[in-house]
Amino acid sequence: MPDVRIKTLPPPHGGKIVERVVRDPEMARKLMAKCSAVYDIKPTLFKGNPVRNVYREIMSVCYGFFSPVEGSMTKAELESVLEKRRLLSGWVFPYPILFDISEEDFKKLGVGAGDWLLLRLKDEPFAILEIEEVYEISPGDVAVRTFGTPEHNPEVVKVPFDQKHTGYNIYCSLNPIILAGKYTIINEPKIREPFNRFWYPPKKAREEFERRGWTTVIAHQTRNVPHTGHEALMKMAAYIGDIKPCDGIVVNAIIGAKRIGDFPDEAIVEGHEMVHLAGYIKPERHMVTFTLWDMRYGNPIESLLHGVIRQNMGISFHMFGRDHAALGEYYDIYATQILWSKGIPSFGFDAPPYEVDGGLHIRPQNIAEFWYCPKCREFAYSDNCTHKGIYSRYSGSFIRGLINEGVMPPPEIYRPEVYKVVVKWWQKFGYPFNNEKYLKEREERLEVDLPHMELPAHLKK
Amino acid sequence: MAKFFGVVLDEKRLAAIKGTPLEEKVEPIFGGALKRLVVEVSDDLGQKVIDQFTKARFDARGFIEETPAAFKRLVFKKIVEKKSLGQEVIEAAVAEIPSIKDDVAKEDRELPVPDIDISDVLELQKNPVQKPVQ
Repeated sequence: MPDVRIKTLPPPHGGKIVERVVRDPEMARKLMAKCSAVYDIKPTLFKGNPVRNVYREIMSVCYGFFSPVEGSMTKAELESVLEKRRLLSGWVFPYPILFDISEEDFKKLGVGAGDWLLLRLKDEPFAILEIEEVYEISPGDVAVRTFGTPEHNPEVVKVPFDQKHTGYNIYCSLNPIILAGKYTIINEPKIREPFNRFWYPPKKAREEFERRGWTTVIAHQTRNVPHTGHEALMKMAAYIGDIKPCDGIVVNAIIGAKRIGDFPDEAIVEGHEMVHLAGYIKPERHMVTFTLWDMRYGNPIESLLHGVIRQNMGISFHMFGRDHAALGEYYDIYATQILWSKGIPSFGFDAPPYEVDGGLHIRPQNIAEFWYCPKCREFAYSDNCTHKGIYSRYSGSFIRGLINEGVMPPPEIYRPEVYKVVVKWWQKFGYPFNNEKYLKEREERLEVDLPHMELPAHLKK
Repeated sequence: MAKFFGVVLDEKRLAAIKGTPLEEKVEPIFGGALKRLVVEVSDDLGQKVIDQFTKARFDARGFIEETPAAFKRLVFKKIVEKKSLGQEVIEAAVAEIPSIKDDVAKEDRELPVPDIDISDVLELQKNPVQKPVQ
């Protein structure tokens, strides 16, 4: 009889975790000496509002969340990702990862292939981009091909993407010049509070899982403060395990640019933390973590990135619900589950991502839906409960609406401790959540601070 | 697919519809923890509501969500006036949006923080299980 126990964490995607962070100041100085120009990282703006900051992608690449990606993609790699969702090495990867720059800035910098560019963040040296290739893109074309169209991807794309879609706007707002090449962080940022206690890059996450003795771990994707439906989903999905339920439940929040009205990221991570601090899931079994990424809301495409990130962290299973990482009605509400159960050929998957060459080891736990059923008197699973018409579905928007009307959500919907975390950040940042002031200040503050590091003389102007 | 507009009922709102035919239409949700009235509208009218407010959106259930609280109050007022849950209620509310413009603008700027004691969670947070190691 085969042993069904899972004894090890899954391997990193691509075979090894990318770690491109230089911690030795002397080495950092030597690398800076090779740079021929300095560029201050700027946010990507859509209609004047920040929708992305490439620093988050540099962090996620250099700390290995996106392994085996090592930097900004070459033109051939970009084409491969858009055509097949594969890197040139054959490993599955869903999104273009690009360092874009305006024509004006490009001319000012005077750099080309073979040059090294020092990237500055918050007025301090941050990372180096080893320029391998310079090429132009048509941002609108990249946007359309990234998310798909009803004609090319009829299995899951229902309507054409437009300017109501945040992720589409991100790609449409890219600058036309791409500098491709590897990134290296040479001045390690300090993660700000409260995010610092949730910072578990893949290498550290794996060390922590091993310390805790976990070999079966399930990931919960979030961009929300948890309601009791999320909590039920986490607890029940974790029964998958091997000969017993999963050892660990890892919440991985996507932290990045937000929309006005969304909950502040601080409330999201602390809200999830409150689930274990207030004892609803034992802290020995529950961890809150985050990844820096400006969410693209690409439903099945986004789910592939989630698979990559969480497998790199050492996670064995991933729960995927209805409308995973979705916004609006562009995709079939079960598009992610279609991908992870039979594949989406038009996106390069004639089988699920764990059955294709260069695919993922992480396994899906496709969950249809939970709702509250007064007859079952529980959080009922939609494949069990037949009490149509009396059950109540969860909706984050509905709960935000209650809060907006001054109604404290009942404990059946929101744990009181979690609601109080929302109030804590409401006191600090005001309302509406993620208001314009918050978004503007946040884009200046970011999630990190950088230690002071002197620029080499030849780069001072 | 039809769209829906839900109005959550607090004590005051429940009192306002007591004894009317609307009382029979009250739906308990989340096991009775909340009560609400639901107005069903056409796709076009639903979209018209969404177009009025920058944050408004359809949620995954087809409900129109994240409209200003002032608009929800207006919809409830129209429900009571018309004693109906037909889409004419929403049509009437949309027609009167100019009258709540100032309230909506105020809401966009600020909403008072709920007056509740959060000291218990601040206490819990003093001793987090996950500690910064960087």
